[in-house]
Formats: sequence, C-alpha cells, structure tokens
Amino acid sequence: MRNQRAFSATFRVLMAAAFSIILAATVLLLFAEDFRSALWQFFVEPFSSRYFFGNYIADTVPLIISGIGVSIAFRSKNFNLGGEGQIYAGALAGGVLALHAPEAFGPGTVWILVAFIGAFIGAIIGTISGLLKAYWRISEMISSYLISAIIINISDFFITGPLQDSTSNFQTTAQIPSVFLLPRIFSPSKLDISIWLALFLVLFFHILSKKSKMGFELRVCGENEEFARYCGISVRAYNIAAMAISGGMYGLSGALLVIGPQGRVMRGFSSGLGWSAISVALLAQGRETAILPAALFIAFLKAGSDHVMIGSGVPSEIISMLQATAMLFITAQVMPKLWQRQRQ
Amino acid sequence: MNFSPIVLIDFLKYTIAAATPLLFASIGGLFSELSGMLNIALEGLMAIGAFFGMAAAGLTSNIFFGALAAILSASLASMLMGLMINKFRTNLFITGLAINLLAQGITAVLSQSWYHTKAVVAFNISVDNHLFPRFISRLPLIGPIFFSHSMITIFAWLWVLTSAFIIKNTKHGLKIRATGSNPQAVSALGFSPDRIHMQAFLWSGVGSGLGGYALGLSISAFVPNIISGRGWIALVAIYLGRKKPLWIAASCLLFAFAESLSNYIQGFSSIPPLLVLALPYLVTLISLILAERE
Repeated sequence: MRNQRAFSATFRVLMAAAFSIILAATVLLLFAEDFRSALWQFFVEPFSSRYFFGNYIADTVPLIISGIGVSIAFRSKNFNLGGEGQIYAGALAGGVLALHAPEAFGPGTVWILVAFIGAFIGAIIGTISGLLKAYWRISEMISSYLISAIIINISDFFITGPLQDSTSNFQTTAQIPSVFLLPRIFSPSKLDISIWLALFLVLFFHILSKKSKMGFELRVCGENEEFARYCGISVRAYNIAAMAISGGMYGLSGALLVIGPQGRVMRGFSSGLGWSAISVALLAQGRETAILPAALFIAFLKAGSDHVMIGSGVPSEIISMLQATAMLFITAQVMPKLWQRQRQ
Repeated sequence: MNFSPIVLIDFLKYTIAAATPLLFASIGGLFSELSGMLNIALEGLMAIGAFFGMAAAGLTSNIFFGALAAILSASLASMLMGLMINKFRTNLFITGLAINLLAQGITAVLSQSWYHTKAVVAFNISVDNHLFPRFISRLPLIGPIFFSHSMITIFAWLWVLTSAFIIKNTKHGLKIRATGSNPQAVSALGFSPDRIHMQAFLWSGVGSGLGGYALGLSISAFVPNIISGRGWIALVAIYLGRKKPLWIAASCLLFAFAESLSNYIQGFSSIPPLLVLALPYLVTLISLILAERE
C-alpha cells in the first residue's frame, strides 16, 4: 500500500512536469517567430555554456530556500501567499545593512548579519499572519497576501525615494560594495557560495522533520488538528511557527539575492519568485529532499522562459502558465484513483 | 490640503465609480463562498475578464460585445476551476492559485502577440455617462455624485440587487446556500452538490469578468497589473459584509473610499504617493481583522 501511494505521487509529479513541458512547446509553436530556434533557446540554451548553466543553478538557490519554507508550512496546512513581499522586505533590510556596514566588520560578519536580518524581517512578517490565524481565525492566505501588498508599496517607496541611487537611471538602490558580495564559485556565472547554505538547509529541515519531535508534531497538526489538540500539542504555536519559518526562509532568500547575484535592490525585486517557491513546494509533495529536483525543474522553466524572451520575443510570463499547469496536475487526485480502479 | 465643494463632489463621484469593479467581483465571489468554496481566484478571473473584454471591445468598438467577451472568458476560466475541483478533486486553494498564475501568463503572452507590447494597451472606447435626463444629472450635489455614472456602474448596482434577490428568494439561491452549510443533506434530497458548485463558480466567473472589464473601461486600457489586488479586496468585502449582499456592497464602498482617498491624497499632500498607495490594502487588512475577529 505504501509503495503504491509513493508510486502514484511520483507518477503525478512526472505527469505535471511532462504536461508543463508540452504546454511550453505548444506556446512556442503558437507564438514564437521561429519555432525551431525557440525550442533550442528554451530547452538547450540554458545548458549550452558555463555562464548560462551557472546562472541556471544560481536561480535554484532562492527557490530551494523559499521552497523549503513553504513546504514546512504546507506540512501544518498553512498557505503563505505573502512570499513576494517577504522576499522584498528581506532583500531591502539586508541591502540597507550591507550598504551601511563599516568595512572594519569584514565580509564574513556582514554576510551573517545580512542573512540573519533578512530571515528575521521575513519571519516577523510571516508571524503576523500566523498570530492572526492562531488567535482570531483569520485566513492566513488573505492576510499574508494583503500584508505583502502593503510591504511591496512601502519597499517601493524606500527604493525610489530615500534609498534611490542618484547616479542610476533605474529605480534601484546603490550597488553593494564588492567586498560584501558573496564569493562566486563558478565563473563567469553568478553562482555563489549561498548554494552550500541552501543544501545545508535542505538537510537540516529534512532531519528536523523526520527525526525530531517537533517535526512529528508539526505533521500531526497538519493531518489532524483535533487529534493534535487531544495529544496536548499546541496547534496555535505550530501555526505561528510554520508561518514564521516560511516567512523567514523567504526573507533569507531575498537577503542572499542582494549580496549575491543581484548586488542591489531594484524595484520589483521579487518578480514572481514568491509564487515559484510555492510551485517548488507543491512539486516536492512535502518531502524535503524532493525540494532539490523540484527547484531544478522550476528554475529550468524560468531559465527557458528568460531565454525565449531574449531570443524570440515570447514574454517570459509564460513561466506562470507552465507553473499553473504543473500545479493543476500535481493536485489532481483522479489519476491515481483511475489507476487503482484498474487494479481492482 | 483644502477640500473645496467641487473637489468633494468629484471625490464622492470617484468613490462610487471605484466601487464598480469591487461590487461585481465580490457579489460573484459571494455565490461560491455561499456554496462552501472560498474562491481565491477572483483576482485572476478579473484579469482575464479585463483583457478579453477590452480586446473584444476594441475590436468591435462596441462595449456590449466587450462585456460579452469578458463574461464568457472569465466564466470559462471559472468553470475550468470548478471542473478541476469537482472532477479531478484538486485542492481548492492550489487550483485558485493556479488560475491566478494562468491569468498572468495568458494575458501577457496574448498581449505581446496581439498588440506587440506587454505594457499599456490603450483602447479608444468611450463610455456614455449621460444615461439620466439632464434635469436629474444637473441636480445640485446628488446629480453629479449619483446620476452621472456610466452604464456599467448602474448595472453593477442592479447586479447587487438581483443577486440579493436570487440568493434570498429563489430555489437556486437556496440550493447554493444549502450546499455550503450541508452538502450531505443536499445530495440526500437528490441534488448534486458538484453541479451546484459548478453553478456557483459560473456566477463567480460572470461577476469577476465584468468587474475586470469595468476596471478596463474606466481607464480605457489594459495594463499588466490592472487588477492590483482588487480581487483579494473583493474577497475581504464578502467577509466584512458578513456574506449579505447589501452589506457587501457597503463594504465595497468603504474600500473604494480608501482607494479614492489614496488617489486624492497623492494630489493634495506631501505624503509620498507610493506610501499612500498602501492605504487601500491597509484598510482592507484592518477590516478583515475586525470582521473575522469575533
């Protein structure tokens, strides 16, 4: 029985991935000027050079980190829809710190401080929605979305106002001093050492959720709230913790992007990353280790979409369609059912 | 900041106009809410309605065909959502999220393909604002505030009243409400809750499609982030109005008031515009807390 369920979950994920790739090809066939070169740009170009490939892997870092946070929150049936704002706020807080940190601090201290403040700010924002849900039963989906919308406007104000780089034509903060940028490990691409932190976090949360009492209790809260309460587990505390962790991971990935590939906070910084992290968590189906292939897949869709936008003029927004398709297939319950019926 | 009477009249008129998209969407969302389905896809459905509605209106130079296209496209997307939930047993919230993402992608790709831009697509569509006889629209104060609106605003209020009637007094409305409170009882009586859910989703699609279209008409253009959270605000209006159509309409007016306030403050004060833009969301968030707290 266990194997059967595991198979259908894997089967569903593969179906979801296959259908989003079929859709990608269809969209390119319909909208690209030159179908064959668009196909090449989407499917091959991200792997065609050291630079492109490194950037592709660099794109997985924020997806892994935010994805694992979303995944933990899913465990306890919490949907954090405020990722866009939490990434933005984490990035802004980390960016301000990196811009104003005295050089005497040394890069190592600054990296840790930036990562910490980013995660902290994100966690605070997530916690607000967690508290609202725990004490007043307010839907965390709606509250996290609205709080995120408020934060995006406030961050936009800071970036275009007090923090605007006066020498730039873009709406952006100044460039972070290069001493405080994370060292790149795969030149000439933008991949930096934050990938190690991402891998460590996957391992950490995997152990936490599989081996610790906390991880077990978190799962029980998601699977049966009534039962959890009966066992004396504080459902409230876990709701708040789940939202804090997912917010914190979003904030952390924002902060790492600023001192990593981006090097500054531009307006519209998060640009859909918050939603992509949800796709990653859904594809991973609640298994922490599955976050890695899921992030590789979503980052591949993103890299492909970016390449066809530059090469063939097809808007990179096709990534939202591809993710939507993957999401729909992943939650569809009918495929395993049909399969089971045939067996009977 | 000084508010002369003319500014005040303008302000109130704008508030009523700004409530139009919210009225359509929130009453549409009310149907699925009453049937027991929290529809978080209102935002995406509005975007679809806005895009296809404006495209059809631009193509035919006729606002009625635009409205028809808005209704059809958003209903289609909404029915797809209902189908996924009922037949494929997908998770309600993830399906809603997927529809929101789908809307973002489809409108951007088609906008690029049809109009060769992902940015502002301007249409030359004029909406008649002189539906009422002159002596009414020229009445002091109430004339300009209440009787100089476009047909779509008038229709939004008819939509509220009709829906209120349908929900309260018809068999169809009763079935929808019963499905929300006790689906087992409904199916014991021989009705299919799945089918009633589909009908509720259809209402959601019609409402949010028209809501998005009203937004498009008000600026005579389609821009990528045209809805900018109004679908979510409409959702909160359902809660703030305690799922009663007239109270929902009042909540929409409140949120529209916040929106026009944020517009006017930008012109009249030294508070930075981007900060002021957060005001409608803040008002919505506070309302959500106040409405759901007890």
